[in-house]
Amino acid sequence: MATPILSVEGLRTYFYLSGGVVKAVDGVSFTVNEDEVFCLVGETGCGKSVTSLSIMRLIDHPGIIEEGRVLYKGKDLLKLPESEMRKIRGREIAMVFQNPMRSLNPVFTIGDQIAEAPMTHFDVPSRDAWKTAIEFIAKVKMPDPEVRAKSYPHVLSGGMRQRSMIAMMISCEPSLLIADEPTTAVDVTIQAQLMDLLLEIKKRRKMSMMLITHNFGLVAETGDRAAVMYCGKVVEIGSVADIFREPLHPYTQGLMNCLPIGTQRKKELEVIPGTLASPVNPPEGCRFAPRCGFAMGECKLHEPPLTAGGKDRFVACHLYRS
Amino acid sequence: MLALKSFKETLLRLLQHRTSFAGLLIVLTIVVLAIGASVIAPRGYAETDPVNRLLPPSGQYFFGTDVLGRDLFSRIVYGARIALWVGLLVTFIEALMGVTLGIAAGYYSGIVDKAISAVTDMVWAFPPVVLALGVVTVIGPGLTQVVVAIAATSWPAFTRICRAKVQSLVNREFVLAARAIGETDSSIMARYLLPNLMPSILVVSTLVLPSAILYTTALSFLGFGAQPPTPDWGAILADGAAQLRIAPWIATFPGVFIVITALGFNLLGDGLRDILDPKLRI
Amino acid sequence: MEEALLRVEELTKYFPVKRGFLGEIAHVHAVDGVSLHVTKGETLAVVGESGSGKTTLGLMVLRLVKPTSGKIYFNGTETAGMSERHFKKLRRRMGIVFQDPSASLNPRMTIKQTLTRPLVLHGIKNESEIDTRITDILEKVGLGKEHSDRYPHEISGGQQQRVAAARAIILNPELVILDEPTSSLDVSVQAQILNLLFRLQSEFNLTYLLISHDIVMVRHVSDRIAVMYLGKVVEVADTDELFSNTVHPYTAALLSAVPIPRPKSEGAKRVIVGGEPPSPINPPKGCRFHPRCTYAVEKCRIEEPRLSLMGNGHLAACHRAEEIDVSSYAKELWRIIEEKGSHESRRELIERAEGKV
Repeated sequence: MATPILSVEGLRTYFYLSGGVVKAVDGVSFTVNEDEVFCLVGETGCGKSVTSLSIMRLIDHPGIIEEGRVLYKGKDLLKLPESEMRKIRGREIAMVFQNPMRSLNPVFTIGDQIAEAPMTHFDVPSRDAWKTAIEFIAKVKMPDPEVRAKSYPHVLSGGMRQRSMIAMMISCEPSLLIADEPTTAVDVTIQAQLMDLLLEIKKRRKMSMMLITHNFGLVAETGDRAAVMYCGKVVEIGSVADIFREPLHPYTQGLMNCLPIGTQRKKELEVIPGTLASPVNPPEGCRFAPRCGFAMGECKLHEPPLTAGGKDRFVACHLYRS
Repeated sequence: MLALKSFKETLLRLLQHRTSFAGLLIVLTIVVLAIGASVIAPRGYAETDPVNRLLPPSGQYFFGTDVLGRDLFSRIVYGARIALWVGLLVTFIEALMGVTLGIAAGYYSGIVDKAISAVTDMVWAFPPVVLALGVVTVIGPGLTQVVVAIAATSWPAFTRICRAKVQSLVNREFVLAARAIGETDSSIMARYLLPNLMPSILVVSTLVLPSAILYTTALSFLGFGAQPPTPDWGAILADGAAQLRIAPWIATFPGVFIVITALGFNLLGDGLRDILDPKLRI
Repeated sequence: MEEALLRVEELTKYFPVKRGFLGEIAHVHAVDGVSLHVTKGETLAVVGESGSGKTTLGLMVLRLVKPTSGKIYFNGTETAGMSERHFKKLRRRMGIVFQDPSASLNPRMTIKQTLTRPLVLHGIKNESEIDTRITDILEKVGLGKEHSDRYPHEISGGQQQRVAAARAIILNPELVILDEPTSSLDVSVQAQILNLLFRLQSEFNLTYLLISHDIVMVRHVSDRIAVMYLGKVVEVADTDELFSNTVHPYTAALLSAVPIPRPKSEGAKRVIVGGEPPSPINPPKGCRFHPRCTYAVEKCRIEEPRLSLMGNGHLAACHRAEEIDVSSYAKELWRIIEEKGSHESRRELIERAEGKV
């Protein structure tokens, strides 16, 4: 029986802009288990990044986490005082972002930045922390760790920077690593290396990983379980194998059909009609209804709740409610 | 990206920002004074009345009178017209020169860029008033001459900004696409680069204009600019300097107006910059 | 031998770069002696990662970058040595669509103005004719008249890309270069744009030169694929041939690295290539891939391999092509990709929908 390490319940994060209220995350619930790779999948604007930032409590004005619980090892992260939350960030839950150049401080060496976490969280003296930094640089498979430790971010390639970020993030041996599009900015062969590295680290340290991406290939190859998001809501949850072999929600099915795979070459693909709903004024009822080929009257009136659709499967669709 | 801000939206944002709102108010006041000078001023700016000279501010003479009995208030109001007119003219000439050179330098790079940048740096290094003084001693005193002199010294502000912006735009896909469909260089500079530079040019203009006013009033103060009886604020200030002990109001009012006008444009310019182009720093 | 619409011969581009404090000039070997051809009506994909030179190659064909040496033949006419004045007349026969649609449209021009420029530049000045052609082309790319007066930031990414496509074909070109046309777009929008590109190709008889790193998309769209690494072509073949009979180790690594949206399969051996792509300023001697190649031998370090015919129009540049077999993963991959997705769930959904109704 899988043990949950992170449980998100009814999360709502809204952004108050001059043009209106953007309901970026509007009632999202899912669970991440120990020792698994959980993927949060969806297209632009579905709210997956905001969800991860909300979990880390990195949401700033004009965004507010309105409602919900984020249970980490039993504690509700949303109710913790900031001082407690700071102890969790980096130490228990770490986050790797898409663009490593933005997350690395250009005026400090890589070694300094990696050493910072152990020094802050565990009061390790700086000389020992530096040694630890070199160890971790070696662990993320960068050549010449002693030399690398003294390098500044701008002399490194994209792949190396991302490895530095990973080293920084795992130096405190977190239980959960959140990776938000960690490989979008790098080449395909480097992407393969990085994902391989992350999986190896996860296995060695029994770390759970939450991967946020719009790349279905990545989900299929690295994920154990996944949640599909659309317009601020979760529409389907299940094991990766199940979601790909038997997508339940019409949106998930639509996405699978869009992929140019298993298709006849040079033939037109099936598309999802219509366009993404406005996050400021989402439609009444099911948000996907305007584009859904199976929409019924009820779909336009009532939002379908996330209900069980099989073993370890959840889907938010009226067609699956008995 | 390069978000287009409509006029309405910009105006609204300006009104929300406290400092830029203040700037806007000041600028509007000066503009109103300048345009409505003939209506607002109770007397002509050259009307002398030696009987009533050196009178302190009163209900009849709001700002008092100067050594020739002229109404200081009327002179200041007409002076606003000169200040704005001169400021706009100088800024316009500088923009014309500076933008053209900046776009050319940024677009062509190589020798063209090196040459233009060298000249720009040289001119930029000179204190504008000193340079202008040099020019004016050659071409003689007078308001027009001062305009030319100042305009010739401060255009580098435009060149630098335009060159930098053009360099960042010239390899963007929409410029490549323009070349792909066969646009000529001059067409690209005029239709694709210049319109995208407008917000920055506007911001730089609002920040250059007060300097223009300050330098021209400085030159007038030194006697090189407006010749009497032109009520240039700098000239009035010079008059007032001589009478500082007896009639301090003659120097005070033009000084205050110069400072407030410059401040107003600066605040407005800062606000505009924050709204239109936050990365801009001259 | 079919008519080659586009042929490049030993095309080379070196970008000068200042190094060291004495300012000595080094060169980035962006494209190094590339020879390829595209037949009329086909879609040739040029595939590679950043630094491979694929984008520079495309830009040279359109004269947006000046070649250092080499020849470009468009419909038999050599263009690399042509004057700009002459080339301008050829420009109407070529179009290009870029990767980032929001960056490829002038933010200060309305859609209508953007589409008017190519018409005016190539002699169509009559206002009503311009109007008609614009309305016509907008319809062909799936947009309406109401979009004409909008600015790029007022429409979505997918719509922007449609405008870019409209601009590329409004003069009825023969060749269109697609530079990562769907990389910036969401999955569902990608599918729409790919469909649009198919439709336009058949309706306008277009020849496509597709530049991309997305192997899965490339497989769906192209007839032939050329693989580039560090400025050189390492392998060229028909699409199915490339997947079922991969010869070059880099191609195998590239195909291996692309994550496929199919649940993990057992059996296929993935080739994870180590190391980082070396600097294109000082490319390795001999075979450029040798520092990262698991099959490299002494010869690979010294002598640069030439593209040789493997049979069936299949070319590869590898000294050990005959000895090694790197094709197993790609073959498995091909099989997985070709497998039709499950339609069980779709049928179930239809039944449920009907049951409820």
